[in-house]
Amino acid sequence: MPLENEKLLGLYRKMLLVRAMEEKHGSLLQEGKIQLMSHFGTGQEAVAIGVTGPLRREDILFGTHRGVGEFIGKGMSAKDIWLEYMGKKTGLCKGKGTLHLCDRNLNIPGLVSSLGSDFSYAVGMALSSKMSKTDQVTLYFVGEGTCNQGEAGPAMNMAALWNLPVVFAVCTNQFCELSYMSDHYPTEDVAPRAAGYGIPYEIVDGQDIETTYEAMEKAVEHARSGKGPYLIEYKTFRMALHFSGDPGGYVKPEDLEEWGKRDPIDLCQKKLFDRGILTGEGDKELREAVRAEVDGAVEEAFSGPDPTVEDLFEDIYAQKGVI
Amino acid sequence: MVKTISFLQALNEAMAEEMRRDPSVFVLGEDVRIGAFGQTAGLVKEFGEDRLLNTPISENAITGVAMGAAMNGHRPVLELMFCDFAMLAMDQICNQLGQWRYVTGNQYPVPMTIRTAVGGGFRMAYGHSQCLQSQLIQAPGLILVEPSTPYDAKGLLKSAIRSDDPVIVFESKKLMFGGVEGEVPEEEYTIPFGEAVVRKPGKDATVVAFGFMVYEAMTAAQELAQEDIDIEVIDPRTIVPLDKDTIFESVEKTGRLVTVEEGRMRGGLGAEIAALACGEYFSSLKAPVQRVAAPMSPIPGSPALEDLYLPNKDSIVRAVKRTL
Repeated sequence: MPLENEKLLGLYRKMLLVRAMEEKHGSLLQEGKIQLMSHFGTGQEAVAIGVTGPLRREDILFGTHRGVGEFIGKGMSAKDIWLEYMGKKTGLCKGKGTLHLCDRNLNIPGLVSSLGSDFSYAVGMALSSKMSKTDQVTLYFVGEGTCNQGEAGPAMNMAALWNLPVVFAVCTNQFCELSYMSDHYPTEDVAPRAAGYGIPYEIVDGQDIETTYEAMEKAVEHARSGKGPYLIEYKTFRMALHFSGDPGGYVKPEDLEEWGKRDPIDLCQKKLFDRGILTGEGDKELREAVRAEVDGAVEEAFSGPDPTVEDLFEDIYAQKGVI
Repeated sequence: MVKTISFLQALNEAMAEEMRRDPSVFVLGEDVRIGAFGQTAGLVKEFGEDRLLNTPISENAITGVAMGAAMNGHRPVLELMFCDFAMLAMDQICNQLGQWRYVTGNQYPVPMTIRTAVGGGFRMAYGHSQCLQSQLIQAPGLILVEPSTPYDAKGLLKSAIRSDDPVIVFESKKLMFGGVEGEVPEEEYTIPFGEAVVRKPGKDATVVAFGFMVYEAMTAAQELAQEDIDIEVIDPRTIVPLDKDTIFESVEKTGRLVTVEEGRMRGGLGAEIAALACGEYFSSLKAPVQRVAAPMSPIPGSPALEDLYLPNKDSIVRAVKRTL
């Protein structure tokens, strides 16, 4: 079923914002204006924005370090992201997290460095929601590379054992860091592993925003109504390299060409044009507005206040005088 | 009014009282409904299965589950059966747990307690007998607690559960299974972190001993007294924060320092205290600092060998005499 016009347009705008954010990050690195390494999710925008679309504000999101998609999807602003990325005192984490984005107001509890450590935090969050008898749902958004971590199995096991309101969304972008997925997986799909824990799963296209959104809407409803965990695997393709220092040379040009034909933003744009929701002129204005938003956020972040030596030892302990 | 209870009962009472007081407190771990060693025995009768959560054997993941629950409004008390098994959870404990408050800019404190059994003497060999406290002193953001009496076990565990910082409580197997008893008030009490206790005053040497080693130090004190050597025995009770004031006021008085721990020597608790002594209190010292600790060997299972491995009153007596 097609999404409502306003909803689809809103998701499109968010996808544009994600791509503009990453393009800006890339150019700032190239110009030598910042050092913070990047992990771009170019081409995966429909997954990140689609999975977070159906979440409520009180729902919990664990995201990935690949780009800013899911964080923007949950409501994080360009300004907040850049203040933190640049390590400013006025950043969400007071500049102590940088790429580890976290926002308590949006129920985003933070981002781990060692991939997959947070698999179990999602389960613990959902356990807490169930014990408190709320209808809060936790979304654990993860790449297929991380699904080979030791935490994945025990986390899914406990989610199913205790029938917890958690949704696992696997973004299969065909790469695990600098390797094709086939170097890490004996199978084409990750999702059937869920069956071993009795968790229902689905494998869906990750390029079409309406498909990604609707699959997640169903999974979230499943979890919220007390039916336990659910797993969705989204098939997409990482058009960027793993990180800003990636030497590259391992991506097959024919893959880039093939997947490039189904760019999620282009697909959504076509729908908006076909349904008369957006005109070419309107699209141009929208893209300019998004770019201006990002440029403004970056400018503001550059002039934001740096933390000082007093901040170095703040927020380590609640108890005073321990260090 | 006071009553006499065992070390195990002290831990059990602390959890029961805190669960009664605060509905957000719950206990999880492997077999906690039964309580393999008895710390959690019987709690399920009063609090039900929802608040005594038996977990699968997945140490790293159950530590993460407790962290998640702690970030969402609960106060979990996690049992990791042996500290040797806590090493399976080192990613969560050292990479994440202690640093989460900081990296999130104080948005997500993690108020949880980990209880884990330490120590040898039960002939269980290399992987069920270690004292790995010193493995955790490098991790920022953690409070480390090692009680030696039922009074301290109860008061410190209650403080741990109420703390907004993550706290690791090291529970000595010899104290739990050795029938150690002690007096506790009938009334409610808690003990602040970072306050050492002088177990025995003395003038000739300062002996800083942790956990079960406090008892070995007290026995050593009796033996040394027969030779007119009067040692001061200090029980820090918390490893982090460490009550440096009490320790070094004593060292200023005696001029001699011996550290005693059941864990291994290299990079141990004694090494940290000795470094503090050398760096900040060097002029107080009249003799080189002596460390009593286990050797850098795996723990042997054989009774004959394990008894050679473990530090005891004899090694403390020898160390004290080396400072005189």
